[in-house]
Amino acid sequence: MPHIEAVTCPVCGCLCDDIRLRIEAGKIVEVKNGCAMCESKFLGYCGEHRLSKPLIRKNGELVEVSLNEAVKKAAEILAEANYPLLYGWSSTSCEAIRIGLELAEEVGGVIDNTSTVCHGPSVLSIQDIGIPSCTLGQVRHRADLVIYWGCDPWSAHPRHIERYTSFSDGRFEKSEWKGYLSKTKALIVKKKIEKALKRVFARETPSLSPHVRREPPPTLFKEGRKMIVVDVRRTRSAETADYFIQVEPNRDYELLEALRLLVRDEELEVEEVAGVPVAYLEEVADLMIRCNFGALFFGLGLTMSRGKMRNIDAALSLIRDLNTRTKFTIMPMRGHFNVSGSDTVFTWQTGYPYAVDFSLCYPRYNPGETSAVDVLLRGETDASLIVASDPVSNFPRKAAEHLVKNPLIVIDPHVNATAQMGDVVIPSALVGVEVEGTAYRMDHVPLPLKKVVEPPEGLISDEEILRKILSEVRKIKAGKMEES
Amino acid sequence: MIVLTPSRQLPFPVMAECISPDVFQEKTLEEIGELAVWEGNKQKKLADLFKVEEQNREGENEATITICGDVAEVRRIGASMTIGEIMIEGNVGMHLGEEMKGGKITVHGNAESWAGSMMKGGTIEIYGSAGDYLGAPYRGCGEGMRGGQIVVHGDVGSEAGAYMKKGLLKIKGNAGQFAGLRMHGGTILVEGNCEARAGACMTEGKIVVIGFLESVLPTFTIEGVRNKVKIKETDSIEGPFYIFSGDLAERGNGKLYVSKRKNPHLSVFEKLL
Amino acid sequence: MSNGVVFDPLNGIDGEKVDIAVKDGKIVKSVSEHRAKKIDVAGMIVMPGGVDIHSHIAGSEVNTGRLLRPEDHFKDSECKTSVTRSGVGYSIPSTFTTGYRYARMGYTTVMNPSMPPLEAKHTHEELNDIPLIDKATYPLLGDWWFVLEYLSQGNIEELARHVAWMINSTKGYAIKIVNPGGLESWGFGHNVTSLDDQIPHFCITPREIILGLCRVNKLLNLPHSVHLHTNNLGKPGNYKTALETMKYVEELANDEKPAVHITHCQFSAFTGDDWRTLGSGAEEIAKYLNGHSHVTIDMGQVIFTDTTTMTADGPFQFGLYELTGNKWVNHDVETETSAGIVPFRYRKKSFAHATQWSIGLELALLVKDSWKIYMTTDHPNGGPFTAYPKIIAWLISKKARKATLKKINPKARSRSLLPSIDRELSFYELAIMTRAGQAKALGLKHKGHLGVGADADIAVYNVNPHKTDPSKEYKKVRKAFKRAAYTIKGGKVVVKNGEVLKHVEGATMWLDVKISEPFKVTADMKRRFREYWTVEYENYPVTDRYLEISQPIPVKAEV
Ligand code: SF4
Ligand SMILES: [Zn+2]
Repeated sequence: MPHIEAVTCPVCGCLCDDIRLRIEAGKIVEVKNGCAMCESKFLGYCGEHRLSKPLIRKNGELVEVSLNEAVKKAAEILAEANYPLLYGWSSTSCEAIRIGLELAEEVGGVIDNTSTVCHGPSVLSIQDIGIPSCTLGQVRHRADLVIYWGCDPWSAHPRHIERYTSFSDGRFEKSEWKGYLSKTKALIVKKKIEKALKRVFARETPSLSPHVRREPPPTLFKEGRKMIVVDVRRTRSAETADYFIQVEPNRDYELLEALRLLVRDEELEVEEVAGVPVAYLEEVADLMIRCNFGALFFGLGLTMSRGKMRNIDAALSLIRDLNTRTKFTIMPMRGHFNVSGSDTVFTWQTGYPYAVDFSLCYPRYNPGETSAVDVLLRGETDASLIVASDPVSNFPRKAAEHLVKNPLIVIDPHVNATAQMGDVVIPSALVGVEVEGTAYRMDHVPLPLKKVVEPPEGLISDEEILRKILSEVRKIKAGKMEES
Repeated sequence: MIVLTPSRQLPFPVMAECISPDVFQEKTLEEIGELAVWEGNKQKKLADLFKVEEQNREGENEATITICGDVAEVRRIGASMTIGEIMIEGNVGMHLGEEMKGGKITVHGNAESWAGSMMKGGTIEIYGSAGDYLGAPYRGCGEGMRGGQIVVHGDVGSEAGAYMKKGLLKIKGNAGQFAGLRMHGGTILVEGNCEARAGACMTEGKIVVIGFLESVLPTFTIEGVRNKVKIKETDSIEGPFYIFSGDLAERGNGKLYVSKRKNPHLSVFEKLL
Repeated sequence: MSNGVVFDPLNGIDGEKVDIAVKDGKIVKSVSEHRAKKIDVAGMIVMPGGVDIHSHIAGSEVNTGRLLRPEDHFKDSECKTSVTRSGVGYSIPSTFTTGYRYARMGYTTVMNPSMPPLEAKHTHEELNDIPLIDKATYPLLGDWWFVLEYLSQGNIEELARHVAWMINSTKGYAIKIVNPGGLESWGFGHNVTSLDDQIPHFCITPREIILGLCRVNKLLNLPHSVHLHTNNLGKPGNYKTALETMKYVEELANDEKPAVHITHCQFSAFTGDDWRTLGSGAEEIAKYLNGHSHVTIDMGQVIFTDTTTMTADGPFQFGLYELTGNKWVNHDVETETSAGIVPFRYRKKSFAHATQWSIGLELALLVKDSWKIYMTTDHPNGGPFTAYPKIIAWLISKKARKATLKKINPKARSRSLLPSIDRELSFYELAIMTRAGQAKALGLKHKGHLGVGADADIAVYNVNPHKTDPSKEYKKVRKAFKRAAYTIKGGKVVVKNGEVLKHVEGATMWLDVKISEPFKVTADMKRRFREYWTVEYENYPVTDRYLEISQPIPVKAEV
């Protein structure tokens, strides 16, 4: 029974690459080091939602067909379209994305990745302000102040804190795990001991306790790593933090702007900003200035709340300003395991990270105009190809309606809502489990995705499927050229 | 005068920067019809999409283009134009008059986002509403409106006049969030109500809100109350107005004038005076 | 290829009519006359394909630059054609466009000078997508913790073995050092200001890093010297640091091979105490170079345009942000290096920018031996590589220099040395500065010349050197060098009259450094790996599948 070491987990943007798998009879039977999300991926990937045969809709029913037939049909749809959309990409390999871009260029379509509905606004802000950032190891080694803003790593990126920030051991800064444990223990004593113990070890979200005070606690000014969480509600991560700042919903922008003023030692005229007393904010600002290395991570709670990209503007500006006083970095908590890679490949081939429109034979970019949701809402597309994503369940209803009204091609290992509505559905092998590839971590570190088991009979990678469609499209186009 | 009438529905985006008096000038109707446009990913001729006709009425400017019908998917009309006039009887698509330097565009309908984007001169008048990013620059570019005038009779979306340096934006309806974001000159007048974050990160210039302003950023400081504010050399509006200055987060010295009568919630600032 | 006027300095051919035979991608003695495809290039200049020793074309820093600047791209797009992919410019072109634009100017080999080892896979993935040119890339090693630690222990041989491992693991080509010590200090927001500053936490100085890695370079027998971006880059008065650095490695001088390459030297050749008193240190540096042969440099010429600066020198880029207020990206890489990006416009009317422009050209003209200085813009730092024809015009024509001098800041003009310099480079010297010299400095045996056995990378420019006076007709020359009449890559005509005819992939060259006994990954190494990086040892190296066309160059080390 062989073990495979150093496997990269193809789930979230943490892209942990220390997963150890035990394989028996061609199946994964044990997962070490991973979090719950990782385990369920590696152990449950073969579940009932798996697709096994290509399907085409005939007379309203999806019927099984050969791969060649499905590929041909997909190519016909794309080659004929006046304004096709190619969407998804964040949960597949960079190798597949490369071919996807070539296909989009060939068919003169709009190609967009899931950034468009997550950190797209963050990218737009980066294009206005820039971004002082670093790789995650830099935070592990050096950060003595970690801020999570509008994100809950405990639930969305379960190993982020342990591998990269407050609970990791670095060269210049040590893990605060022990301190956290004793703090938690003290808490446990206060509560019903058994119940609390069960919660900690079963990793369930404990019910929220009001132990985090509004006022910055004195411990915040001691030596060692500090963690601050800013959010609209008290999440599990907030419980872990040394200090939790509860911001009024949709008022992050004001809070960030106020901090920008305070880190320049200037005075605010108001007494409270976004529900937080300015006196507390002054202490936080002071902490930010006095740290040796600060790191702010932000999530969709900031990107998607009122003000969107401009919230990120303010956050980026704050961190940039702080660099005149100390060292401070900022990073978006990217969700899908390869959404960074998707932005990266888009950028090197086209100059733009997402929402790229090839309809004029060259790459054009203007989110709002060329982004997936917007072109669907305006009803502009006449065909779509969805790769490794489920827009039918997570796009606005009107956008999803337009998507399914027109010919829809889906490439995905699983049956999701989009696949069920598809006209051509091509199942693929699972990247990072059944086929290899490359993905980029949230800090842009590229990591190899491994093949650890054989794919089910007849299934090939997204990359190979896309290559087949591309060559079929070229054949159709060459045929048309000859005719004319 | 050249009259363009869409000859069918236009469901796909159409790129038509050729619809501009500068381009039409001294061209015959046939030549105009031959001009290249893109519809979705197909290259077409203008005449494929529009009926192109000439109508000459007394005293009319020759360099006038009239578009009769809904062209909400037709983009970049009047881009970079320097002379003449475009009249649109219907809704119009994005990037109307992008980087225009002179002449006039009138829209009897709504305009999509980025109308007057990076405008340098001339006038745009929209009788309906306008989308987001009115007069604002392209992504990543710090140069917004540098001259000219945009008048919108209806409402506008967010970030109207972002990065504006010079010129005038008159909004007779309501304005969305972040009006005058990062502006460093010029004037924005909002006659209706205005959502929050007006003037965020502005360093110079003037924003006047005659209606209700949702809130003032904490990084603005109150300077006083004034009875009148000048909009143009000759134009001024009666107040009284609260004057705020900011955005201090950018060490800015922009001015935000807010009607006192319509904004009793801002009276708390009076005690700071 | 017949009847061309050939400039092939490595073979001593200076403007002679020589016919060139090509077979299977290589230059051969002769081919069968009647079966060969013939190209008549009568009255045209024939040179080896251009070689660029330092141009940022791929990797995380370049790509973040692309991402940062949609406004740089949106007015400079290239359409897809039946043979080419689409893309965008301007200062940071997308990958395909990068390849096409180089090839259009007759360039066939480009070195990407800064690769964070941890992100090496990214660099190689991008290099795969740059067509028509051969490439190689230099890993950034100057502030790698292993380097700092082994050097502070004085363990050069062990370090050499680790550097060999690193070059193999990252599929790199040379040792790149950037602001040694400064980048580690930048980890906490600090910098070093002299060669003798202590680097916090590591008990070592920039001086020791430079000398140590130069020694390692010798021990490993690497074909190129250490590729160095000096301390204090971009600061008034820094020519002293540059000179001190050069002098310090004098002891490693060896007749055959230089010990160090000071890259984009213009940025390290400032006199003065601040931006107002900024002046040119070109004379001093040229004087030193004229008397010594252990140093080579490249220009890092400034072009008056809007561009994007990007270096691994994090603190320098931060300074540039503070100076301009433009958008700023910083990207520190754990255990290894840092990077920064700031858009920048060089203006003719700015005293500092105009002075920089002058310094670059002064260096190129005052260094007597063209084998010691190469033409670069440190793309895109001084300006995009597409500006090379402009530089060529300034180098071959005093008239061209005068025309630009007229338009620059008057104070900079009055202080410029250029009016006093009469030298105008010949086509032969130009061929050295743009290909032969660069290939020689890089130790690329098959590049930069047209001798038998060389790669059939050839550039043909439609200008007749016998009928053109470059000094007067510099515009004609500039035009010819902008759009090559032919670019031949590996024996294939890829460009004709400035148009790309074919999309062929270029190779990635890397050093397969062989040490006496194979590198053993000890338990200690694995432990340190776990502690230092956030990725596993197994996932760190660039495996073969990351190089689409891999061209290993074996090197036998002395350790
Ligand atoms: S944190 Fe994310 S990448 Fe790491 S093991 Fe969990 S799901 Fe996988
Ligand atoms: Zn460089």
